[in-house]
Amino acid sequence: MSEKAVLLEMNHVKKSFDGKGVLEDISLKVREGEVVSVIGPSGSGKSTLLRCATLLEHMDGGELIYLGQTACSEKPDKQGKSRCVYASKAELKEIRKSFGLVFQSFHLFPHYSVMKNIIDAPIHVDKVPHGEAVERAERLLAQLGLSDKADNFPYQLSGGQQQRVSIARALALQPKILFFDEPTSALDPELTVEVLKVIKELAKEHMTMIIVTHEMQFAREVSDRIVFMEHGVIVEEGSPEELFATENPRVKEFINKLY
Amino acid sequence: MSVGSMITQLLGGFLMTVEIFVLTLVFSLPLGLLVSFGRMSKVKIVQLISKVYISIMRGTPLMLQIIVVYFAPYYVFRIRVGSGYRFPAVILAFVINYAAYFAEIYRSGIESMPVGQYEAAEVLGYSKLQTFVRIILPQVFKRVLPPITNETITLVKDTSMAFTISIAEMFTIAKQIGAAQTNIMPLLAAGVFYYIFNLIVATGMEGLEKKLSYYR
Repeated sequence: MSEKAVLLEMNHVKKSFDGKGVLEDISLKVREGEVVSVIGPSGSGKSTLLRCATLLEHMDGGELIYLGQTACSEKPDKQGKSRCVYASKAELKEIRKSFGLVFQSFHLFPHYSVMKNIIDAPIHVDKVPHGEAVERAERLLAQLGLSDKADNFPYQLSGGQQQRVSIARALALQPKILFFDEPTSALDPELTVEVLKVIKELAKEHMTMIIVTHEMQFAREVSDRIVFMEHGVIVEEGSPEELFATENPRVKEFINKLY
Repeated sequence: MSVGSMITQLLGGFLMTVEIFVLTLVFSLPLGLLVSFGRMSKVKIVQLISKVYISIMRGTPLMLQIIVVYFAPYYVFRIRVGSGYRFPAVILAFVINYAAYFAEIYRSGIESMPVGQYEAAEVLGYSKLQTFVRIILPQVFKRVLPPITNETITLVKDTSMAFTISIAEMFTIAKQIGAAQTNIMPLLAAGVFYYIFNLIVATGMEGLEKKLSYYR
């Protein structure tokens, strides 16, 4: 079997807030169809890593490459100090099309109906014809079990339904990679199950996904690879089998506590 | 003077009152948004100018502002302005005063928007302008409606201050008739007019709020 294309490449990523290092030299490569879970204790830098990858946060050093397109790379500035230089606005706009992000607290647009939440970006950002955008949205809603909610407003839905709508909103732009930032942390256990089920189905369809999560059982079932982070570095990385059979005492302790 | 002719005269003044009210809103609502942008600008000097402007407009009496705007051309520049300048002067004074209050209302609304809305829009690829026009502004509009209603009701009553430079709005006329006939009725009638006007304004704004209650 030939090697699948590399969709995302992060090399030696560094990020600090007010001089406090949050990411120290993180490298991560994600190939087409892979599901990668990122686990680790709070404050380990998982979310910051995701925010750097989705261009919500400027990284201080390292390289970020999507499908061979460089979003940012480290170059020396006039003083000879190394810093991250980002691609042009137009290039970044193009790069943004290759990924979607599902937030912990959904961030749906409250003034738009479920349908409008899903079709607005395709129509106004990607210039998809209205009819086609609606068709796409209807397919997604059916797939996520929300067909009867198209005309509802976000406040009328449960947290689990809102999170599924936000997944549909991200998928409507047909991204190559979907990021999840603790997608079930704001949900109770029952609603968590319905959202995880949706993500598992996406995994079956070979959607490339990077998931920051605290759900160990889920990570074990759904991932091709699990990355354990702590203090801004990747401590261990491997298949679920490898990670759950690790000899590293810190990783072992963390997994046993949560699993 | 008959009650009928008193009402007719008051109605004439009332039209002027409505005119001041409408023109002030038409200009100060958008100008306020512009000032709020200035107030939130990343450019320090623009921010400072907007801040000082708002501070002066809110910190000094509207009546004084009306008089300054009216007399400044002559007192400062020795430019003779005819009585035709009275009406523009009053509108100008009201607009720059109310824009300052509206600016602060808009700012509070815009700054109360959760960061997540901006981030969601950014990841979905919306431009800065699209994010503001499609996502932020409609929600801000709903949030600021109650304080805007407050200001609007105050404006109805503040129009009476146009009497300081002898604009023939309702209060000026009521005072004239009342003084000429030593009769309290014109003033009470004017009060009723103001009250009804405000009742209509408040009801209309309440209706608008209801219309926007389809989401939370």
